[in-house]
Formats: sequence, C-alpha cells, structure tokens
Amino acid sequence: MQITNVINAIDKNSEQTPDRIAYDYLGETHTYHELKCYSDALASKIGQMNLDAQAPIMVFGEQSFEMVATFLGIVKSGHAYIPIDQHSPNDRLEMIQEIAKPTACIAVEKLPIQIKGIPVINADELAQIFKTTGRFDEKLAVSGDQNYYIIFTSGTTGKPKGVQISHQNLTSFVNWMLKDFNLPDAPVSLAQAPYSFDLSVMSLYPTLVSGGTLQVLPKKITDNFKELFDYLPKMNLNVWVSTPSFVDICLLQPEFDAAHYPTLSHFMFCGEELTHRTAVQLKERFPQAKIYNTYGPTETTVAVTAMEITQKILDEDQRLPIGKPKSDMKISVLDQSGKPVDVGKTGELVISGPSVSKGYLNNPEKTAHVFQQVGNHDAYHSGDLGTKDENGVLHYLGRLDFQIKLHGYRIELEEVDHYLNAQKLIKQAVAVPKYDTNHKVSQLIAYVIAEDNDFENNMDLTVAIKKGLQATMMSYMVPNRLVFKSSLPITANGKVDIKSIMREVNS
Amino acid sequence: MDTKEKVLNILQDLTGNDVSEDMDSNLFDAGLLDSMGTVQLLLQLQSELGVNVPVSEFERSKWDTPNKIIAQVKELQA
Repeated sequence: MQITNVINAIDKNSEQTPDRIAYDYLGETHTYHELKCYSDALASKIGQMNLDAQAPIMVFGEQSFEMVATFLGIVKSGHAYIPIDQHSPNDRLEMIQEIAKPTACIAVEKLPIQIKGIPVINADELAQIFKTTGRFDEKLAVSGDQNYYIIFTSGTTGKPKGVQISHQNLTSFVNWMLKDFNLPDAPVSLAQAPYSFDLSVMSLYPTLVSGGTLQVLPKKITDNFKELFDYLPKMNLNVWVSTPSFVDICLLQPEFDAAHYPTLSHFMFCGEELTHRTAVQLKERFPQAKIYNTYGPTETTVAVTAMEITQKILDEDQRLPIGKPKSDMKISVLDQSGKPVDVGKTGELVISGPSVSKGYLNNPEKTAHVFQQVGNHDAYHSGDLGTKDENGVLHYLGRLDFQIKLHGYRIELEEVDHYLNAQKLIKQAVAVPKYDTNHKVSQLIAYVIAEDNDFENNMDLTVAIKKGLQATMMSYMVPNRLVFKSSLPITANGKVDIKSIMREVNS
Repeated sequence: MDTKEKVLNILQDLTGNDVSEDMDSNLFDAGLLDSMGTVQLLLQLQSELGVNVPVSEFERSKWDTPNKIIAQVKELQA
C-alpha cells in the first residue's frame, strides 16, 4: 500500500472499517469512526475562529485519544500542530510560545500556567466540541509543503529549536514504512513514546493509515514494572516501536519471549544506538521476529535508514550498522571541507532528499547553519559521524559536537550547562555523559561547584538543586548524578577541561 | 562488606549520593532514581550480589527507600 495523503488515508478507514479500534488506552477504546467525527468537529470549530492561516497551534497533553484526534483536527483545519508534553516545565511552555508564535493553544490536559495573547481551548471546551458534528473543508487541510507538525528539540543556548515537518515529509516517511518493513495489515502497534518525541510518529501514522490499532503504554504503567509486565502480554502486539533502552527494561523479564508474545512479529528501533548486546538477547527470545535498526535525526522526519538485524549481521558486526537510506534519500559521508570521504573512512553524515525538513521555525540563523539547498532538495548536516562500507551500508560512530542521546532523548550538553549555571544554588557546573561498555550513554553526570548554602548534607543539596532544575528543564535532561567539587579542572585556555572530566567519569 | 554496605555502594554509584544518612527518603520522589536507574540497580544487584529480582513482581512502592531496598535484597538472599 502507498498513500498520497495522510489525512485522507486515515479517514478512508472510517468509511471502510468504521468500528475498528484505532486507539486502545488501557482497555478504553475508540474507533476510526470516532476519530473522524472528533477531528472533523474540531477542524470545523477551528475554521470558525478566524485564526492566522499559516500559524501553528500548540497542543498540550499526553497520550490520549483526544490528543490524537486534536492533531488530526488541527491539520484538517490547515494548521500545523506543536505537541507539548504534559510534564514539560512552565518555562519551556512559555519559551515555545515565544519562539513558535502559535495562533492558538489547545489544552487537552489542564495547563499549569496561563497562556496569554492567543485563544485557548481547554479540556472541557474540547470535550464539548467533540460532541458536535462538523465538516471539514478538504481544500483547507494541510498538504504538500505545508507544515504538518513541529517538534521542538534541544538547542545549545537553552532555546529549543522547532523542527518543521511538512505533509510531504511525513507522507514520504509513511510510504517508506509501508513499503520496506513488511508490516502486517492493520497492525496492532505499541504506542509508548510521548508525542513530543518524534519516535511516536513511527507508530502513530503508519498504524493509522493502515487501519491498525494503537496500543498505548502510558508512563504510569511503564514506571511500575509489576504493572508493566501484567499488562504487556495482554496487549497482543504485532509491531513493537520503542527505543532500545525501553526494550532493555522488558528483557529483564525472562518471559518476554516468543512463547509468551506469539503475535509479536516486528521490532522497530529508533532514537538511539541499538547495541549488539540488546539485539542478541532479543533475537534469542524472538528468533522468528524481524528486528529493524533505524536511524535518523528529527530534522529528516523520524528515520531515514534501516537495516534488518539478522543472525548473519549479529555474527559479522559487533557494532550494528544503521543500514541503507530509504530509496529516495541520499546520505553522503563528507570531510570537513565538504568533500566525500573514501569508502570505509569516517566523516559527517549529510542527508538529502524529500525527508529533509525545511528548517527550524522562526530561526533562519540556525537553519542556515545546518540546512543547505542541493539541487531540488534540502540537505541536512546531521553532525553525526559515520562511515559507508563497500556495500553502501552506513555505520554510526558518534557525534561531532556535544549532543548526546540518553535513553532515546536528544540532549545538547551545552543546553544542560546553560540550565545548571542558571540555577541559584550552583556557582559553576558542567555536564558530561557516562558511557557503558556498549558505547551507550548510561548516565548524565554534572560536576558542580555549589554556592555557599545551609544544607546539612549533599543529599539535601542535591534534592534542592534537582527540584529547581525540574522547574526549568525537561526532566530527561536533568543530570542523574551531581558530583560536588570545590573546583573544576581548567585547560591552558582557561576553559573548563571537559575532556579530563569525561576521562574521570568514564575511567 | 555486608549486604547493606554493598547496596549503599551501588546506590551511591547510581545516584552520586551517600544515602546512608537518609535511609528512609524516597529516592524516586527526590529525583535520584527513575525507570532506567531502576534497571541499572537491578542489573548491579544481579552482578554484584548475585540477587535475581523477579522484575514482574517489582513494585516501586516496595523499593523506593534505601531501607526498603536493603530489606528486599536480604529477603531475596534468604
């Protein structure tokens, strides 16, 4: 199956299989018919609000059917949506509003602060809107090069960057998923990642356009392992979509295997490096299932390379390849002067083709820095280091800069430093990653010189600093460990010697 | 080293804090442990103490303070 329009492809399921379950949240189910009714009603309502036609709409909430219906309603009304996770700190909400200049905000969950200057639809009003019937004007819906969603990622100066993904970007991604991964018809797919993390797109749209069911695994279940392992077998999943870190949790349970999960046929990984160790364990537990390692920055729409991890690959490569680009994409490995390196040599992965975003919303400077026009297509300088082997298969090797992936979340260390140094109990601090034996970041550690304080011990000080940080930065960016020091090592140039701290942490 | 010391060492390694003064403080509420931290805790208990925690029985509320963790480990060793 191939699609030309994401919205129409989803709506078609409401005609063909109206009673099929689109969304299952812990047994609370919603059908494709409901998805169409809810989203049409919202699109019609937005159409009456006289909003700025090109501006996006912020959506605040977490995993729920209302959230997905809201996304669809917004794009049907011709606007792009900006998903903001319910657990975001207030500062981030304000900063995203300031950067994105949205024309409205839809609060699927209760907002922690007042959003000023734009219309806000709150949860009660949204529930009322969903009860009405409305029609959406197909001509107004998002299409072509218009933005479909905007996801904010970590920015080096503490200012997040809004990656604009167009309808065309998304369609190209979805078609690749449908074509190259042999997914089952109408799959039952794991929906575990928050919507503010683009890994969620990997289960959301391929599943909805093919009339499948999104099986939601919310954080409140995954946080409590007993509940997680009670519920997981009941989900009857076909397609697993998660970070490798999340499957590591599941592999802790010996019964996470094909005998107990007979319908699970596909594992799709993205967001961070899939280690050999994780893949070997998974292949032993699920010998018949297809395991895919995929790679791609948010700026190139979720993922752009893939590799099926077979027994042969596991035998040959200790560090797993990220595979080949989707057929309409080109990935070059370039040296510092922008020239292609020889086969097997290391360089920056530069990605071009229809999956590349048009750039960061309202941020021409950062856009110009990493996006480039090459022929008819944009190219994105990923900052990722890699090599291409003689078969055209790509291998990921690390970063050019101070960006890390921690359990799938993309973090600019400079952004973490920015927040640490803005914390009033901290005089000076620097964050460094601690790696495990599989090249994977296992912890974020901050070396901290504290301000003079009256705390009885470091534990109380740590808790106070962490509380303060959680109010300003996303919780996944807050360092796991704070190490208190009276001074930090300094380089000959008078800068904090990050390399020596890295060595110390990883010794 | 007895079990208590070993567990406290593992917790110090994971959280960066000497938690021996706060044996009843909730490590999750304090932001010192999360899901992935729990995974590392369980793996380290396995490799350093030989304790296999049945993860499908793992309830966060029974493992959220240093004292509770030590008690759970001792029970599993018995």
